[in-house]
Amino acid sequence: MKRIGRLFAYGFVLLTTGVTVFPFLYMVSASLMSFQEATGVPPALLPAHARWSNFGEALRAAPFARYAVNTLIVSGLSTLGTLATTVLAAFALVRLRFRFKRLLMGVMVALLMVPYEILVFTNYRTIAQLGLLDTYAALILPSLASVFYILYLCQYLTAIPDTYYKAAIVNGCGDLEYMWRIMIPMSRSALFTMALLLFISGWNSFLWPILVTNTTDMRLVGNGLSAFVTESGTAVQLQMAASTIIVLPILILYAVFHRRIIEGVHVNGIKR
Amino acid sequence: MSITIRHLGKRYGERVALRDVNLEVCDGELVCLLGPSGCGKSTLLNIVAGLLDPSGGDVLIDGESVVRTHPKYRGIGMVFQDYALYPHMSVEENVMFPLRVGEHRVARREALVRARRFMRLTGIEDLARLRPGSLSGGQQQRVAVARALVQEPRVLLLDEPLSNLDARLRLSIREEIRRIVKATRVTTVFVTHDQEEALSIGDRIAVMDRGVIQQFAAPQDLYLDPANLFVARFMGSPVLNTFCLSYDGGRRVLAGDDFSVPLGVLDVSRFRRPVGEAESVLAAGGCVLGVRPEHFHLVGGSDGLADAGADRFPVVFGTLVESVEMIGRYAVVHFTADDERCRCVVDVRRAPRAGDRVLVGLDCVSVHVFDADGGRLY
Amino acid sequence: MAGGVRGWLARVGSYSAERQPRAWLLLLPALACIGVFNVLPLVRVFVMAFQSGSLRHLRFAGWSNFVAVLADPSFVRALVNTGVFACVTVPVGLVVSLMLAVAVDSRMRGSRVFEALLFVPYLTSVVAVGVVFRYLFNGDFGVVDYVLSLVGLGPFDFLNDPRLSMVTLCVFGVWLSLAFNIVILLSGLRAIDPLLYRVADLYGASAWERFSRITLPQLAPMITFLSIMDLINAFKVYTEVYVLFNGMPGVADSAVTAVFYVYDKFYVQGRYGQGMAAAVVLFALILVFTLLQSLLVRRLSR
Repeated sequence: MKRIGRLFAYGFVLLTTGVTVFPFLYMVSASLMSFQEATGVPPALLPAHARWSNFGEALRAAPFARYAVNTLIVSGLSTLGTLATTVLAAFALVRLRFRFKRLLMGVMVALLMVPYEILVFTNYRTIAQLGLLDTYAALILPSLASVFYILYLCQYLTAIPDTYYKAAIVNGCGDLEYMWRIMIPMSRSALFTMALLLFISGWNSFLWPILVTNTTDMRLVGNGLSAFVTESGTAVQLQMAASTIIVLPILILYAVFHRRIIEGVHVNGIKR
Repeated sequence: MSITIRHLGKRYGERVALRDVNLEVCDGELVCLLGPSGCGKSTLLNIVAGLLDPSGGDVLIDGESVVRTHPKYRGIGMVFQDYALYPHMSVEENVMFPLRVGEHRVARREALVRARRFMRLTGIEDLARLRPGSLSGGQQQRVAVARALVQEPRVLLLDEPLSNLDARLRLSIREEIRRIVKATRVTTVFVTHDQEEALSIGDRIAVMDRGVIQQFAAPQDLYLDPANLFVARFMGSPVLNTFCLSYDGGRRVLAGDDFSVPLGVLDVSRFRRPVGEAESVLAAGGCVLGVRPEHFHLVGGSDGLADAGADRFPVVFGTLVESVEMIGRYAVVHFTADDERCRCVVDVRRAPRAGDRVLVGLDCVSVHVFDADGGRLY
Repeated sequence: MAGGVRGWLARVGSYSAERQPRAWLLLLPALACIGVFNVLPLVRVFVMAFQSGSLRHLRFAGWSNFVAVLADPSFVRALVNTGVFACVTVPVGLVVSLMLAVAVDSRMRGSRVFEALLFVPYLTSVVAVGVVFRYLFNGDFGVVDYVLSLVGLGPFDFLNDPRLSMVTLCVFGVWLSLAFNIVILLSGLRAIDPLLYRVADLYGASAWERFSRITLPQLAPMITFLSIMDLINAFKVYTEVYVLFNGMPGVADSAVTAVFYVYDKFYVQGRYGQGMAAAVVLFALILVFTLLQSLLVRRLSR
């Protein structure tokens, strides 16, 4: 009885994992097929021979390299910016004492309830009024601070005894010195996980870039791919190649740092 | 480098943490702040360090008010209960840290020289390259002390520095701390809740309770000459025996059910007030007689025969031994007198057994008498 | 020089350990960004919901935007679709991931590998994955259609048949939601004290009893958290639709969702006021549902 249960459980897990992984495997496989193979009935599981030229063709068909560079710049800078603002803010909220701190924390927790998708449109108006449409600034500015990660880091820092800070200021260490030499090294792993997840969500951003960019040159990989799908019509093998190009960097990051990423999510239940 | 604390107060909303605290710590002196948890001793230390603001009053270091001064300009070194050693730095880097930050930072080479000197003083040169995580509690403690001293502060503050160590280590480290502190001649304030620690390490001890300094005196004076009932009870182990006696003005006797103490047998010179005045306070009622466990003497065994020494004591009464605790050289004998559970200390070789009937003599001259508010009368 | 002045100020000036207004200086960058891009837009949503006209000439319009939006059958459809999407993906996603998490956790060999693989969809671009799903669900040469035809079902045109758009969207939604749920549930499962199970075994509890008496109650906080997060996310569904139906809300608006409607009104049609009125309605619905759900879950767990 127990063995049957175990077997059933194993089968269920294998099946679901298969369903989860299959789209990625098939994406890679189809990215190497010819058009005939990719659109044939019954569908081919593997290409007869790998057509690496699909990748070159996709890269020629749309400026994916440019998209990737844009995305790298945008999510890289937003990640660094968010790290900086978050570290400063979380330090102030956890270690310093000042008026209206509780009120401020309360407002931030309340802001967590507001869905980003609702704010995105009026943010578009702000950016338009600032005359920043279709610039890197438009893509980066709104993601230079995150209420969620400030609260995340606050929670992490609260668990570190405040005697480290007390010892440091008695020793004549300034606030910035404390952050740089003690707080950041001591919360390295949390900050690293945070940076990974920030970068990944920047890489995958979609709604904001389609709102504030309108020239091809400013597109990020997400809206670049979506535009390419419209332009390329039925050239599925090229679409799969393009998707692979976009997903692969994240999969590599994940393969290297998967423990850290999963633990980071375990700790705090990070939302998308 | 003296510390002067004047009329210091600290309140958190309604709660009063410190009330009119006055304290004078002399240059090079080692003072302990002793008291039960929540008595305000750590609050006081943190105010001296500048980690908390006083609600009123003043703190002077070397005659200069520091309450509006940033901690880094107060010239203090501090050791915390959890040591707060930076886990990502080696021992050497930890000790050098105070010299390498702030506007008075010195060159790495010089910092290293100075750090080495204090590491030698605390006996941790061999650990220089290790991380704090791989050290024992006692070693971490030494690193923390070295780090606190490396800036050659005017004042060293230690906040319960021994309470994370095991009992045996505590004994040796506290001697070590006293040696180091005396060698550097730094003025030191040491916070602890452990009276034995305070007695052994402090030049003087400030006993605190409920935000008030109850008594500030040398260790032996706290024990022999307590200012009030709280100090008398807090100092000494086993704890002071107390009896609520009523005063019979006609016979001039402190009367209880099992024994009475005639005022006549007390030493007149030991009264804190003129005898007449003391008598009227006693007559008002609520007085407490305090007897140290060593001031009860067993003067007779279970045979009921009085010991030869019995006549040395003006007050003798019979009682039943309830239990006997062996402490080593001494035994603590528990019995009941006047409805109070009492403890007395006897030589282990002369200890009775539970159930024995004994005669107890009271060393009347050495007792304490407190008024209804706990103030000392005798 | 500046350091000297600062030092002098700190020495003589009024230092305080409990009043450190310099905190605001450190908070400034974060608060400026949050103020401009989180608080200001929120205020603007509510202001614009009561205005009409072009972005340059907005004027007060009273409740007319709300009247127009609520009377718009397309908006009603968007709300119904969003509701259906939430009501399908949240419970299905939770149940499936709970089953999976329990199965993976039961001392299965390679459970960490399964966890790592199952988490992948959480990190990969919804757009890229959506493009792959478009391919898999293709009515002419898609794999899904082919597999279903092997068991005698179909043919289906998942992407172009208006009756099937919501089905396709929900399948995609469930597939996407599993990853996060599983990782959170597994962390919850691993936090359960094994002693509880040992005691249960001692009393001869059945597998079902172990699950319903220990696992489920111990996971209750995680499940509450997930159901609320999933619900909020489901209400915000947009990218999935955009990608799956190639920038359209399904054939003949069959898969239009609330955020998609707002996007369309605001960005495509330029009816800013109506778009924001719809956003306010959506926001209110999210708040109400979150509140209701947390009440419900609290009642149930009692």
